[in-house]
Amino acid sequence: MSITATDFHLNGSGIVTQEPETLNKIPGNRAVWVGIFAEMTEFALFFIVYFIAKAHYPEQFNQGPQQLNTLAGTLNTFALISSSYFVAKALAAIRIDDPEQSIKWLWRAVLCGGIYLVIKVWEYHWNVDQGIETNTNKFYTMYYYMTFNHLLHVGWASGSLLWAIRQLKAGNYTQNNHLGFTAIACYWHMVDLAWVIIFPLLYVLR
Amino acid sequence: MLKNNFTLNMLDISWILLMIITSANAFVAETAEPSLAITAIICCSIAYKGRRIMDYFMELNHANTTIQFFMRSYFHVFPALIFLSDLFSEELASLTTI
Repeated sequence: MSITATDFHLNGSGIVTQEPETLNKIPGNRAVWVGIFAEMTEFALFFIVYFIAKAHYPEQFNQGPQQLNTLAGTLNTFALISSSYFVAKALAAIRIDDPEQSIKWLWRAVLCGGIYLVIKVWEYHWNVDQGIETNTNKFYTMYYYMTFNHLLHVGWASGSLLWAIRQLKAGNYTQNNHLGFTAIACYWHMVDLAWVIIFPLLYVLR
Repeated sequence: MLKNNFTLNMLDISWILLMIITSANAFVAETAEPSLAITAIICCSIAYKGRRIMDYFMELNHANTTIQFFMRSYFHVFPALIFLSDLFSEELASLTTI
């Protein structure tokens, strides 16, 4: 068995010339990027509030992450990174005119979104059993505010993936027409990117 | 003779790297004592993970340069702010006391 790393091109399969819609252009459409930057700004405000709150309550922010369920946070990170990977694979599949494979990858991404939501609900129940609630202290208020807000984003972004599956099945997204799909993929990756910062802030750094 | 060609493109490699870094972060969360060095390492891992997702999953490495600039800046500025807010926490507290 030989393992080789091929050069990456825009479709993930090495056929860069088939990707004129992304090369030096806005991936997806302008509207989705307005949404993405608005969401990133919202999360930026959360992060700034976190920095200020941590400076004022260092003891609470030092103890807080130790009481949280690191396993749940880690599994959720695995789920989101994997889902982003599956969405990228789905986009690569439609670009080589393989909608069936694209739908399979998208279902895997939706499954990961579902796993994330289930783990989050389990984690919240686990927290309550440990006496960790929204008003326990400032750290946990930040924790619930950030994670619940992010959970909502995962929820509706999962809905957008289901919409993309429906469009693929209907033949509305094809090799030559999948800008809407690209926009949905970009939004999903943004949700993953927000978690890339949230996870270490809440579970790792003390 | 069994011949099996198993190839990895950059999507696969990125996914594997991101999973490894996440595992390392979780290990740090469970074992390491807090210090500025640990914070710096975590900040670098955030910046790297963000860049990897943006470049290869979001495909920004060949996209519109304005979007590329703002997205990349975000993942330079926030890891830096995490580190600086830790380094100058007392100054930040006094600056934001009403």
